[in-house]
Formats: sequence, structure tokens, C-alpha cells
Amino acid sequence: LAAPVYPAWLGRLAAGRQRRAPAVRPARPLVLANQVANRRLRLGEATCTTEMSLLMACWKQNEFSDAACAKEIQTFYDCVAKTDVEHKERLKQESLGHMGNLSPKTVNKLLRRFPNITDDF
Amino acid sequence: MVAPMAGRLVALGRRLAAPARAWLPGLTQVRWSRYGPSYLEPELNKEVYRKPLEELSEEEKTQQELKALQPIKAAASNVTSSVFSDPTISKFTNMMMKGGNKVLARSIVTQTLEAIKRKQIEKYHQASEEERESIECNPYIIFHQALKNCQPIIGLCNIQKGGKTYQVPSPLTDNRKRFLAMKWLITECREHKHHRTFMHEKLSQELLQAFNNEGPVIKRKHDMHKMAEANRAYAHYRWW
Repeated sequence: LAAPVYPAWLGRLAAGRQRRAPAVRPARPLVLANQVANRRLRLGEATCTTEMSLLMACWKQNEFSDAACAKEIQTFYDCVAKTDVEHKERLKQESLGHMGNLSPKTVNKLLRRFPNITDDF
Repeated sequence: MVAPMAGRLVALGRRLAAPARAWLPGLTQVRWSRYGPSYLEPELNKEVYRKPLEELSEEEKTQQELKALQPIKAAASNVTSSVFSDPTISKFTNMMMKGGNKVLARSIVTQTLEAIKRKQIEKYHQASEEERESIECNPYIIFHQALKNCQPIIGLCNIQKGGKTYQVPSPLTDNRKRFLAMKWLITECREHKHHRTFMHEKLSQELLQAFNNEGPVIKRKHDMHKMAEANRAYAHYRWW
């Protein structure tokens, strides 16, 4: 589609207040695209860093032997398993849309199923 | 004339395809399952069917009734209900296989287990009475323990930040650990082997060394841990 031609009265819709020079005309047509930009909504932090640092301190003392640091290894694995479960729960909640806004991934999936039909045929 | 026709085809394609990218003009789907959604997975464990009716819980009873009515998929050709089948050994055989020659890979693995057993029995007969109890002769136990000793605990992830790629220490999934242990074992045996030594001989040596927490594969695991420990300052670059 070429640059859209809007009727002249559309620019005068904001009647009632002072008429000023029309704002910049849109270069592309004002049509909704069938996908949203994939920006990271919220930056997460590294998980299990304390357990990891404890494990590494134990390794440094015992020359990287696994038998000596069995307890630290177990705590690290437990922490990783716990955060894994939480992460999966959070992803599931995000996809269902219970936490505020939908994620860009979910929105794109929905838009692919119900797109904005721009053609006449 | 041509432009609206092309547009019509694209729109038709868009409306026919349920998932995105499943239909493109000129391409057909090849990887699909011949089973519908109602097909259940087969149960390979014989013990499940040997249980008497009274011992079954309510949900197990409903599951068995369901299985009598719903269709069941055919079992894959690489799984058996035999007592000798081991999923870890199958995975190891598959990783060792080259060019689809499963017969050769399986024979190497069987010969490796036999070699391990022979060496351990020789050690057993040559040892004194007190030491005999501590010698492990079951090759499957030695294989599993050696693999477990070779698995790394922390891995390194490549993360790009500010134009530079950093090696960030991060936890690994169980599948990834198992894969790395098997990969290191096989690579070590393939690369540092005399061309006149048989693969099963070299593999049995490496497995016995790994079982005793020594050898080049364990060293490689320790190198990975040392790298992770050296890069622990970058641990906060992770976001998951």
C-alpha cells in the first residue's frame, strides 16, 4: 500500500481547541502488525550464587575432590532443583497471563492464531 | 493479475496452517507421527503386570481399565522388557555408534563389560581375604559409578555482554551432565589410543580408572571445575 491519503476533515477532528499545524503524517499505514516486539520484560538475577560460592570455597580447600565436598554439592543441587521448579511455575503463570501483562511470546502466539486480516480475499 | 493471485495463495496458506511455518508453498511436512492423540505409551516393565489385583491402588486399577480400551503405540525397536536392558548402556552405545553401525557399537560395549569383569575377577583371586570384600566385580555397577564420577557439577555458559563473550559458571541439567560424561569418555578413548589397541580394551581401562577417581576423564572434569572457579566473578552475568 502506498502512503495513505486521509480526508482533510480528519485533521480537523481535534476541534474545540486552537487549530495548529498538523502533526507529522504517518509514513507507514496505521495498520496493526501481527506480532509484538520481543523485548525482555524484566531482567532476572543469577540464582544459587551463594551455594555456588560455598561449593567453590570448599573445592579450593580440598583440591576439588567431590567426596570431601559432598554436603555442599547436595545443597547446591537442592537449590538448583528448587529454582528450576519455581522458574517453570513462573513461566506457566506468565503464559496463562496471571501476572499482570502477557509476555511477548504469548501475545505473538495469540496473534498468530487470530491475526489482523488486511486483505480483502 | 499475478500479484493478487500470489496474495490469494499466501492468504490461503495462512488460513490453512494451524501452527506457524507448518505450511509453505513447495514444502510438505515429513516428520509426523502415525499415532493420534489418544494413543498411550507402552508399559515395558514386566513387574507391573505380575502384581496381583488386590495390591493395585485405585488409580492403578483405573489406568489398567483405560489401557484395555484405548489404543497403545508400538514399542520402539531399541527398548526391551528384558532384565538385561539398561537405558544408560543403550544411550552410551548410541553415542559410540558411527554411521548407523549399532551391531559394532553394541559388540564393543559388551566386550568392554566382559573385559572389566575379567580384570576385576583376576584382581579378586590375587587379593588377600580382607581386600576381597572391597573389590567390585559387577561391570554394570562399575560402569554406572564411573559415569557418575565423571559427571561435572558446574558447567560453563557463553554469555555475550558488551561485545565480549564471557564463560559464566552455571548449573547443568542431569541430561547435560550425563551427556558430557559419556562424550568425554568416548573422545578420550578415541583420541589417546594406540592404533593397535582395541577400543574395548582402552574403554575398560578408562572406566576402571574413572571408578577409582583417577585418570584423564576425571582430570578433564576437574579442569572444568577449575575454570568455573576461576570465572566465579562473572556468575552474576546469568539471568536465569
